[in-house]
Amino acid sequence: MTLARSEKRLGWGLVAPALLWTGAFFVLPFLAMLALSFARMEGREVVQGFDPGNYIRIFTDWTMLKALINSLEITLVVTVVSVVLAYPLAAIIAFRVPARWQRLALLLAVLPFWTSYVVRSYAWLLVLGQNGVVNKALLGLGVIAEPLEIAATRTATVIGFVHFFVMLLTLTIYANLIQLSPNYARAAADLGAGRWAVFRHVILPLTLPGVVTGAFLTFVLCIGDYITPQILGGNAELTLPQLIMLQLGRSGNFPLASALSVVLMAVVTLAYFASSRWLRLDRV
Amino acid sequence: MAQFSTLPLTALALLAVTSPSFAQELNALVWCDHTDPALIEPFEEKFGVTVNLKEYEGTAAGLAILDQSQPGDWDVLVIDSVDVGRAVEAGYLAELPADQLPTANFFPELVMAENNTVDGKTYAVTEKFGYNTISYDKTKVDPADMEDMAALTSGKYDGRIGIYDYYLPVLGLVALGQGVNTADITAETLPSLKDPLMKLRAASKQVSDVVSAQTALATGEVDIVVGGGEWLTAVLAADNPNLDWTIPKQGGLRWAQSIGVVAGSTQPDLALEFVKYIVSPEGQAKLATSSCYWGMPANAKTGDALSMEQRAVLRWNEQPEFLKRAQLYPIPDAELDTAMQDMWTEMLNQ
Amino acid sequence: MRVLSWVYLALAYAFVFLPVAVLVAFSFQDGRLPVPPFQGVTLDWYAKVLGDRDLMAALANSALVAVVSSLIALVLGFLAAHALARVRLPGSVLLRGVLIAPMTVSYLIIALGLLTLFNQTGVRLSLWTAAVGHVVINLPLCFAITYAAMGDHQKNAERAARDLGAPEWKVLVLVSAPMLAAPLAAAFFLSVTFSWDEFIIAFLLTRFDVTLPVEIWSMLRSGLSPATNAVGSLVFLVSVTLVVVLEVFVFRRVK
Repeated sequence: MTLARSEKRLGWGLVAPALLWTGAFFVLPFLAMLALSFARMEGREVVQGFDPGNYIRIFTDWTMLKALINSLEITLVVTVVSVVLAYPLAAIIAFRVPARWQRLALLLAVLPFWTSYVVRSYAWLLVLGQNGVVNKALLGLGVIAEPLEIAATRTATVIGFVHFFVMLLTLTIYANLIQLSPNYARAAADLGAGRWAVFRHVILPLTLPGVVTGAFLTFVLCIGDYITPQILGGNAELTLPQLIMLQLGRSGNFPLASALSVVLMAVVTLAYFASSRWLRLDRV
Repeated sequence: MAQFSTLPLTALALLAVTSPSFAQELNALVWCDHTDPALIEPFEEKFGVTVNLKEYEGTAAGLAILDQSQPGDWDVLVIDSVDVGRAVEAGYLAELPADQLPTANFFPELVMAENNTVDGKTYAVTEKFGYNTISYDKTKVDPADMEDMAALTSGKYDGRIGIYDYYLPVLGLVALGQGVNTADITAETLPSLKDPLMKLRAASKQVSDVVSAQTALATGEVDIVVGGGEWLTAVLAADNPNLDWTIPKQGGLRWAQSIGVVAGSTQPDLALEFVKYIVSPEGQAKLATSSCYWGMPANAKTGDALSMEQRAVLRWNEQPEFLKRAQLYPIPDAELDTAMQDMWTEMLNQ
Repeated sequence: MRVLSWVYLALAYAFVFLPVAVLVAFSFQDGRLPVPPFQGVTLDWYAKVLGDRDLMAALANSALVAVVSSLIALVLGFLAAHALARVRLPGSVLLRGVLIAPMTVSYLIIALGLLTLFNQTGVRLSLWTAAVGHVVINLPLCFAITYAAMGDHQKNAERAARDLGAPEWKVLVLVSAPMLAAPLAAAFFLSVTFSWDEFIIAFLLTRFDVTLPVEIWSMLRSGLSPATNAVGSLVFLVSVTLVVVLEVFVFRRVK
């Protein structure tokens, strides 16, 4: 009993620093922002109070609602495409590449991760442009007759995002795959399971937590990102973060920006609960 | 575990004590053209000080930064000339000694006393100006078409137009296209600009910030940039001499930026010296050709400090005629400003 | 199937490296615009970038913020993970939820929240306010990675050490940490990467001293130039060197 109690004290002691930090610099700021989201702007003055006007506006003003929809659409496409592209890549590195080269292969796959994010988006703009490498190559090969209009569209935004998240997901999925004991697969195969069945019933379920964690991280990072749509999207449409930055950077409307952020947070939280219930993320 | 649980507190304490302002640092809230070392370093060397620069975009955002600062945080402010009044009203600008400013040497239109002076007191001085009109690639479009704004939405250039992402000048241009003077944009006339704006948007390929607009023009993504001007094409002039700009027959917009000393500055004398340096011919020449964007110096005596090539790019000799044909930015009050921004946001996300 | 794998790998690498290759190629552009056509090779842009005082300061700032914030996040995350994996605390599911929560929130929200808090408490923005934000985003990452890696295997080893009379700190330092060396290193370097590359928090929470991404953003906004390509290429070169050095001198030894 005393042992259990001292263990508990120790446990609390070890959790406390992280908990305090999170409380002071995450929970508290969020509450401050939540309070601000119910304030209202009178001219340049922020009037504190409990005014749901910002929220009413977000859900009745088509411009704002559309930004939310745009963000959701882009994020879903990016998350699915990234997982679908990254899983085979991680699997090939984990199972096909000889063990001694795996670390190098992985390092290579995520190396561009280390270039500056801001610059990378801008590099994609040069790649995808009317005179960019992609168009020049396709024109040269005779695949297309007219340059493709990719830059300054949603497609460009998606490509930029997928590039980043394929690297991220390859890392997390690889880490999961490599922890699998080959004995599981071997045992299943011994029991007569085919390749596909082994993957479907053994490997996939075992790596699912890792995949979901990575996909969720992708969702969060993607839906909240400002740089990629700002640089690659050409303002063809607005995403939620762009709208928030417009409120901050041009209008100085902190209450509306806060309310939009709360909505963004609510969307992510909903996604979290939906996916965690469905995929048991909480037991990772 | 005590040492761990104090971590956040230690961090907070650290935050509270960091960056005390030393007497020899000047804090300036500026536009990006002021961050060019070629402009700032001569001043730093002459006075043996460090100039800390923070960029901002849009008057509302700049004023918001000041709202959130402590008195004494800032010494110098660069602001849209038409918004000097708003900053004065908010109490952010200190009075300048008018007799120490070389406004007598300025282009007369650029003294802008009605903007820089409130109740007979001078709070800011114009430092740089230019035009928001139409930039284009003269090998790809018919330059004659560019003299008439109606050509933009005629269908001939659909999908080849880029719009500069700043609501004030572009809405001003749209207004001119409708025969509405920028000064006459009000809550009543604004709705009539919505259709033309949306039509322009429908004819254009993208709405972009400075760099994207430059990229698009340089790479042929678009052939025309509405809201562009010398500040957009000057930087590219050396590499792509085909880029040009004009003021169409309906007119163009003139932008101007002013500089002043922030009220409550802990070193008003040094701040004033900085302002004086910026409006001196030496500072003016460097500001005019700053790495971020070029623009005409307000001080007409700057001509001698600029090379012939620089003067050609800036169209020094054509200024009298340009000045006559250009109107100032719309000066919306807070309510109209919000309405204009909302219309702009709607246009972006249509 | 085997051939298909290699083709896929090759295509994946091509996709991943395409923008970097273009970026580096046009950093040597002998002209003012980093776009085709290629006009010849010059090193002028590198000279310009290396001589840029602000950029070099931003580089140092970024490295400092990344290392300091990642270290704090790693220590806090590891301790919390250790406690929650081992000790049954009341409400541990909730605790885990709270610690992971920042991961479920976009950086923009964290940045805006901290900005609101700092504004209201009169804390002046600086590099360290950005570092605080970076710890907030990296703490859940460090916690999750180490927590996920703590299997029964580690628990048994820890229990054995404890049964042999080792005090808790020794268990932590001599048993848990070394057994978790790989995930700890992964968590640390992933944190460094995130912090190093993070834009929006650094953008909203710094004032005069800024990190590299913020400095590059203002460079970008002030005009198209191969100098931006040169900075990107240099950052890439430095990172590659760092990764290779780590690989050769650190990870090999750990193994």
